[in-house]
Formats: sequence, structure tokens, C-alpha cells
Amino acid sequence: MKHTRCSVKRNLLMIALLVLLVLFLLWTIIPIYIVVSNSFRKTIEMKVMPPKLIFEPIFSHYQKLLFFDRFAIYFRNSAIISISTTTFTILLGSMAAYGLKLCKSSIGRRISNVLLLGKMVPSITILIPLFMLMNRMHLTGTYLAPILTLSCLSLPFVTWLMTGFIADIPNELIESAGLEGCSRIGIFSRIIIPLLKPAIASAIILVMQSSWNELLFSLQLTNLKTYPLTVGIARYVGAVSVDWGKCSAAATITMVPIIIIGFFMQKYLVSGMTAGAVKG
Amino acid sequence: MVKQKTFEWSLERGDLLPLLMMLPTLLVILFVMVFPLVYGLLLSFFTIGFGGSLSPDSFVGLDNYLQFFTDPVAMKATLNTVLFSFGAIAGDFVLGTFVSLGLLKLRRSASVLIRPIVTMPLLVSPVVVGLIWRYIYDPKGILYYFLGKIGLGISNFPGVTAASTSLLSTIIAHWWQVTPFVIIVLTAGLLSIPEEYYEASKIDGAGPFRTFFQITLPQLLNVYVVIMLVSGVDTIKIFDLIFALTGGGPNNSSISLSIYAYSQAFEQSNLSYSIAISILTMLLTFCIFGIPFIKHNLSKGNR
Repeated sequence: MKHTRCSVKRNLLMIALLVLLVLFLLWTIIPIYIVVSNSFRKTIEMKVMPPKLIFEPIFSHYQKLLFFDRFAIYFRNSAIISISTTTFTILLGSMAAYGLKLCKSSIGRRISNVLLLGKMVPSITILIPLFMLMNRMHLTGTYLAPILTLSCLSLPFVTWLMTGFIADIPNELIESAGLEGCSRIGIFSRIIIPLLKPAIASAIILVMQSSWNELLFSLQLTNLKTYPLTVGIARYVGAVSVDWGKCSAAATITMVPIIIIGFFMQKYLVSGMTAGAVKG
Repeated sequence: MVKQKTFEWSLERGDLLPLLMMLPTLLVILFVMVFPLVYGLLLSFFTIGFGGSLSPDSFVGLDNYLQFFTDPVAMKATLNTVLFSFGAIAGDFVLGTFVSLGLLKLRRSASVLIRPIVTMPLLVSPVVVGLIWRYIYDPKGILYYFLGKIGLGISNFPGVTAASTSLLSTIIAHWWQVTPFVIIVLTAGLLSIPEEYYEASKIDGAGPFRTFFQITLPQLLNVYVVIMLVSGVDTIKIFDLIFALTGGGPNNSSISLSIYAYSQAFEQSNLSYSIAISILTMLLTFCIFGIPFIKHNLSKGNR
């Protein structure tokens, strides 16, 4: 008797969890669906409640965005900035991690932990002095300004991630390559880098995501020629009355590419995040 | 101490390679983070505008910092930032725990199918998240349509239009974006709990609730701490989401420290004061999350 009551309770609990799960999926997907579908709706139709599931798609919001509001250029800028930042960060981060490994003690691990403290520094704290500095060096408005800055934000984590992966590589492998006459640079490019592939993949999606989506630094360090998409959107948001058609299209253009990349790099996105948290 | 010794040792042998490999990273961090921090700290003791240079006349000592503690908006921003951080983390944890427990009950193939949907919000820019939720909270929008269906209206939950609920509205939007992170990490943590523990508690006749509180939760404690540190730091820095969703309004009711510092610098041109605010923001981050972070990493290093 006791047993059956217990299993009824268990089943009820399970059903409750599943219902919660379905609600959670809806809660996750509906906001994204609304924005993407609104970007193809006429502005008048957006005010119709409940929103019609079937409607005739229009592309005029995108036309306005791309041909009159320079979003094609913003898109290109976002791509240039995030791809360069990702490449730069991974190159520098893996080099630094190898340098730490060469220090031949636990000190390497400790330095990479100290670097992680960089995450404690709020962007706003460095933004203003950095802006003044970059202004004086005539760097604001160049691609270099956001690329350097965003790289700096990601480097502590990427170096730390790579250090963890390099620490897992058996020492015998490195030593035997050394005995066979491979130089230390050769060991880096021929042995370490190939073994780092999963870490590099995780770093690609994580850095790409954060640099594509960054707003605060880009607001001040870029100008009309180098604005990324996020700044383009932020300029709409500041307006008194928001043009939801254009905004939805801008939001869609900004989020869809990175969602697609993330979809194909699922595995590495998840492993990068869990490495960051579970390994701690 | 140990640190210097190792470097000396490798430098003595004329071995510059480790240093050379690290040099580019250190230079970038020095140029973008360390130098601006020092420069900012210096500027915070002066009164200075954009393009101005430091002179003894403009030295004001701690005035900018003292102003912070007598400025009601700054106090409001501090309170909001702490409330936001607390509310965001608490919600993420509760919702994230339930959903990841639910995911665990599913078959592996099903949870792999669901994963792309779960991770989606994490990939969306916070400024877009703010925009999306601004649309949802629109008084003529979808949220109030559904609330109307169950007999509630804008007077029950005024959303971003009233000072009483604007901060809560930003927290809800943050839940939408960051809960998936908690789910992903917790799911990995849950899967790493040995199956025997659950079997043992089943044999002991423990119900699902007792199992959760006596086995799952203690096993995951470390994971929770790390999630709290990682996402906690981000919540204290919050800028983009609030910038796009409420802009800090109405009437500063949802203003955060980053938003306030930004508007002081780029709208009011109170550069030095803005830097003082942002340095205090950093100290706040450090006090709440930095010290536990260091303790956590030290205990890791000793193990």
C-alpha cells in the first residue's frame, strides 16, 4: 500500500516536471518567434492580438534597414570585428597557455587563475579612461579599437581554458617529441595545437558570441563607419517612438546568424560553458 | 615568492621563450585593462572633462567619492544593482534547477533534441533581449493580451511603465536569457553524480524530495557556487539589457550603477564623477563576488 502511494506521488511529480519543461520551452521560444515573425509583418498587423499564425510575409522592413539605414555596413562591421577578435584571441590565448606550461610548475595554472580576476572588472570601469586613451591615439573609429578591447575581455577566459587543456596533455608525449629533436615551437604547432582542437572550437563559439553581441564598448569606440549591429539597434532604441517593424528586422538580422552558428557548434558551446563552470 | 623564483630560473638559463609566448597577451591586458584602470583611478581624484588634462588646480581629492554617498540617485542605483543581482541569480537558480531535473527524467535522445532550443537565448545579444522584452511589455502587446485572458490588466502588473515594477521587469528578462546557462551547467553537474547514490537512497526508502535535499543538492553545491560567481559578476555589471529595455527609467526606478556611470560620463559630461562611480562598482563586485572567487580558487589550488 505504502509502495503504491509512493509511486503515484513519483508519477505526479514526473508529470509536473514535464509540464514545467513544456512551459519552459514555450517561454524560451515565443519571444524569439514573435520578433522574427514580426519582422515580416506589416506594421498594422503587429498590433493585431492575438497575432495571426498565418500571414502574408513582406520584406519592406529589411529593404528599409539594408538600403536606407546602413545595416548592410553594420553587418559587415560586426563580422569583421567578431571574426578578427576570435582569431586574435585564440592565437594569443593558446600561445600564452603554452608559455605558462613551459614555466614547468603549478605556477602556470596559478597565473591563469589570476588572469581570471580580469572578469571582475566591470566594462564601465575601463571604458571611460580607455576611451580617452584611444581618442588621444586616434584609434576610436578604427576596427582596431573594438578588436583589441574585445580581445582583452576574452583573453583571460580563453587562456585559462587552454591552460586546462594543455595541462591534460600527458608529459611523456611532449618529452618524447622533444627527444626526437622537435623544437619547442615545433611541439606547439605540431602537437599541442592539434590536441587543442576541442578547446579551440569552444573558444571560437564563446568568443564569437560575446564579441558579436557586445554593446557598451562599441557604443563609444566606434563611429558611423565602424558601427556594429548592436550599436545600430541601440540607436533605434533611444528614439522616443520605436518603429517595431525596423526594430524586429534589425533584431532578427543580429540574432539569427549567431544562433545558426551556435546551432552547429552546440557541442562545443556546451562543453566550453561547463568547463568554465564545473572545472571551476 | 614562488612566482619570481620560477621566472628567475628560466631567465637565468637565458630561456625567454615562456615569456615571449605570454608577452602578447600580457601586453593586450596591460594596454586595455591595467593601464586604463590606473589612469581612471588617478582621474577620479580630479575634476576633468573630455580632452582636459590633469593640473594641480583640478585636484579635488576624495570629493567625487564623497559625492557618491550623498547622491540619492547613486544610492538608488547601488540598491537596484544589488537587488537585480540577487533577484536574477535567485530566479535563475530556482527555475534552472527545476528544468534541469525535468530534463534529466527525459531520455537522452529527447534532451539532446531540446538542447538547441534551450541554448538559444544565450546566443542573443542582451541589447536584443532588451528590445524583445520591450515589445512584450508593450501595453498593447502580447503579454497584456494573455493577462487579459485571465482577468488581469496593466493595473495588476504595470511592467516597465511604473516605477514599482520596472526593475522586476528587467529581472524577468534576465531570467529568460540566463536560466539556460544554469540549466546547461547543472545538467552536466547532475549527470556527474554517481548512480549508486540514488540507488542507495532508494533502498533507504527516501522519497524524491528527501533524495533531492540529501543527495542532489549537497553534491551540486560546488557547481552552484561557481555558477553564482560566474553569472553573479555579470549581473553587477548589467548594462545592455536595461539600456535597451527601460533605459533606467521610469524616474530612475530601474537604473543600475553601470547605466548611471554611463549617463554621467556621456550625457552629463561629469567625467571624473562617472569614473568614481565605476570604480566603486568594481569594488562592490569585488566585495560580493571577488573575495569568494579568490577563496574558491585557492581551495582548488591546495587540493
